[in-house]
Amino acid sequence: MSLAQKNKSMRSGVLLAVILTVIGLVFAQVALADSSVRPPGNAISLPEEAGPSNALGQRSDSEIWRDIYGGVVANPSSSTATGQLMQILGDDWRLFRTNYILKYSHWVLLGVIGAIVAFFLIRGRITIRGGRSGKMIARFSMSHRIAHWFLAGSFILMGLSGLIILLGRPLLVPLIGKEANAVMTSAALQGHNLFGPVFILSLLIVTFRFMRGNFFQWADMKWILKGGGLLGGHASSNHYNFGEKTWYWMVVLIGLVMSVTGMLLEFPWLVDTLAWHQISTILHAIGAIILISVALGHAYIGTIGMEGSIDSMLRGEVDENWAKEHHDLWYEQVTGKSAALDETPDASAKEGTS
Amino acid sequence: MTETANTAIQTLLAQTDTDVASYLEACVHCGECAEACHFFLSTKDPKYTPTYKLAPLVKAYKRHKAPFHTLKGMLGLVPDEVTEEELREWEPLIYDSCTMCGRCTVVCPMGIDIAGTIRKVREGYAAAGIVPEGLQAARAQVEKTGSPMGVTAKALMAQIKHQEKETGIKIEVDKKGADYMALLSSMEVMGYPEIIGAYARLFDRAGLTWTISLDAYEATNVGVQIGSGPLAKGLVQKIVDAAEKLEVKNVISPECGHAYGALRWAGPNMIGRQFPFEVVHIIELMDQLRKDGRIPAGEKDGRKMTLHDPCQIVRRGGLLDEPRRLLDDSCSDFVEMEGAGVANLCCGGGGGVSANPRAEELMLNAFKCKLDQIDEIGGVEAVVVPCANCRTVFEDGLDEFESDLEVIGLGELVADTLKEA
Amino acid sequence: MSFLELVEGPLFYISGTIFLIGALWRLIGIIRMGRKKDISPPKGSAVAGFFKGNLRHFFPRGLFAERTWMHVLGGYGFHLGLFAVMFFAAPHITFFQERIFGFGWPALPRWGFIIAAEIAFAGLIVLWVRRFSDPVMRMISDRDDHIGSWLTFLVMLTGCLAMQEAHDILRAIHMGIVDIWLLYFPFSRLMHAFTFVLSRGATGASYGRKGMNP
Repeated sequence: MSLAQKNKSMRSGVLLAVILTVIGLVFAQVALADSSVRPPGNAISLPEEAGPSNALGQRSDSEIWRDIYGGVVANPSSSTATGQLMQILGDDWRLFRTNYILKYSHWVLLGVIGAIVAFFLIRGRITIRGGRSGKMIARFSMSHRIAHWFLAGSFILMGLSGLIILLGRPLLVPLIGKEANAVMTSAALQGHNLFGPVFILSLLIVTFRFMRGNFFQWADMKWILKGGGLLGGHASSNHYNFGEKTWYWMVVLIGLVMSVTGMLLEFPWLVDTLAWHQISTILHAIGAIILISVALGHAYIGTIGMEGSIDSMLRGEVDENWAKEHHDLWYEQVTGKSAALDETPDASAKEGTS
Repeated sequence: MTETANTAIQTLLAQTDTDVASYLEACVHCGECAEACHFFLSTKDPKYTPTYKLAPLVKAYKRHKAPFHTLKGMLGLVPDEVTEEELREWEPLIYDSCTMCGRCTVVCPMGIDIAGTIRKVREGYAAAGIVPEGLQAARAQVEKTGSPMGVTAKALMAQIKHQEKETGIKIEVDKKGADYMALLSSMEVMGYPEIIGAYARLFDRAGLTWTISLDAYEATNVGVQIGSGPLAKGLVQKIVDAAEKLEVKNVISPECGHAYGALRWAGPNMIGRQFPFEVVHIIELMDQLRKDGRIPAGEKDGRKMTLHDPCQIVRRGGLLDEPRRLLDDSCSDFVEMEGAGVANLCCGGGGGVSANPRAEELMLNAFKCKLDQIDEIGGVEAVVVPCANCRTVFEDGLDEFESDLEVIGLGELVADTLKEA
Repeated sequence: MSFLELVEGPLFYISGTIFLIGALWRLIGIIRMGRKKDISPPKGSAVAGFFKGNLRHFFPRGLFAERTWMHVLGGYGFHLGLFAVMFFAAPHITFFQERIFGFGWPALPRWGFIIAAEIAFAGLIVLWVRRFSDPVMRMISDRDDHIGSWLTFLVMLTGCLAMQEAHDILRAIHMGIVDIWLLYFPFSRLMHAFTFVLSRGATGASYGRKGMNP
């Protein structure tokens, strides 16, 4: 079987898998009428005589609240500071979450998508100046690529499930109804919680694998001043340009914040102070929106936005002209040749990659 | 479908027994075999992945013989028929880039004997006549003279006479009733005839009777290398006939790669009956004689030496410790290569590759991996190579890469370091 | 009959039966091809070699351990994790008890179940990523490899999504994918789960007969 046939069959294999997933989701819609909600497997069963939501066992909540309004002196059983009957910060937290995070998150994301689309329509695909030379040089090793795609895969899983959890009630309920949202949120939470540590592992691997070359250098200053060449013109760069370095450090640092806050949210009993949990949800949500937004831009530039960039992460090698244009200093270091552009496009160069 | 393709396919299917089928059904395309193959390691070209080399067999099997092939065929889920073009496209993969060294077999998590299966695929190719020119020439020589290098009985006698003079020991030819009948590879007769003298010295000291038959002196089995069962059988038959005529008790397989396996393990199955004599490898024999005290060791060779493990003798032949025991007695500065033993790198020229001029570049590139392994030790003066084919590869390779490493055979080394009588 | 009852009931029994019969048919088909009797004098035991070969190939040897570490780590992580989840997760044991065996056995604590699943996912994802990144694996992989990986991943993913055990539909989707997986299994490369015993055994037996360590 030739390589072209192999690629085709691989693609059709992936397509088949996607179709299977869609079928699964269709099953979901079809059978939604049948779905029944039951208490979670590990729910405690409560005695019948106790009043509504009888978490304390003997007295009902209504009775307790009546006492508090009546000015009873007591010690709160929650984990907040002693003497504090109500954690007022909690209300600020709730309002911040409802009025800002839940209200604007999806707009931020839609705005980012819109900006990317606008960029594409205005600037178009950034092509390789002088066309492809047809000669390739190695850019990323196997372990780099595997680390990247492992992180990318787990990031997508975490991002999608996280967005469902965050935006379920404000956004999804009006669209698909409460039952369906309950199902999706339950699924999303289980997936998000289980894949969390997998994401953390992939993040650690990427942090160490990609660290070399990602510290800021003088060339980055000049790159910034030239706007990275995004609007035309040429900006010199080493192995990673300023944009890539910034993304790396965002992933590492915000990723670290996401990991820590995420683990705290999965194991809340580890910390006594309620404020920490509240801050965690805020940071987790904001961090997520930032990372997802920039990830969308990263994915755009790495695929449609720039000709020849996907080769680096898929094949591990890039066209020489691509290298000369976007990472000329790196090209010179690696090959020992000058990065003056080879203007004659290779007549036999293939059109695209995969 | 052409006649050639049909012959190949039918032979491939006939070669597919339960063992081969288990192999084809167990491969999960993990690619670890590539990490073991010196041809892949030296070129980084994924087409040299061992499991990929088996593609024509896999296709034919899935289409014609695999369980469910009928059902899948009806649904159009079987591979297309193998074409002659494909077979020819794969010929260099089967013959030039595989020495049947068996490293892939060792690394495979499913234990698939890819090397042995290549041997079976070659049967299909040989039957259809799709064989590299170099091996075809060797085959023609064998059919004419019995030796792939055209070594005639006359040429052999000349070498024997010369060695008799050198050693002062009579070397019996066609002696009936001897304990041992020694086989030699053409490579040894033409390139390293001192081995004949070495045998004479060793056996004289050990006090055993031995002979060389002028009817059957060739150990190299070209049939195994080409993959032609009928040719392999014919060569074995010749040896068996000669050994029976001379009524010897044992036949010695020399320091040659596939010869031992061809005679000892495949031989009886090829001719359809058991031998009335035993087959022993010269290294096994020397090890046994030394254990019995019949060839005591004397002054050791002081050069810094290392051992190259010939694939068919160590990994595929099981003689891991014997050469090492003999070397410990024969040299004072013996150093192992890293990864020596069962996982050792092939010289790059076994299994017919060294007889195939088209494969020369591949072979030399692969040999470079071996040379690097030796150079890593540092300061090595000589390498012991107990296989005549490996020795020619070494000599070509060392010449190509301008190394002045010395190459010695094990038999000669043991004979040279025998205790004074 | 609800969708859940369908996929856990008749559909499961049908796909389970096809799985069993298909797997047996395929294995017996391979064994029935037979081999010629080997009349060369043996130096060791082929039977012992069959078992030794099976055990030996669990461990990479010498130089190879260094070159194949990613496959070994990812492979074992995935397989052991999946095995632990499949047979020792409490909901699965309950299912086996109710539907197949009539008896159960001790389950992993929930955190053990989760960690095993995480390791299984990590292993599977890394191996599949390698399959489309590494030039060697790209060259030799086919549709069967990708579908097999994806189906298995979907089985695991849908299972993970249903872990709250509060929505029948999530459980039903998981079971539905399991049914499809069972149907696909005997006709695909997933059968390596059983055929590896035969292939390791064949090599082990041939080496054992020659008195060699496989």
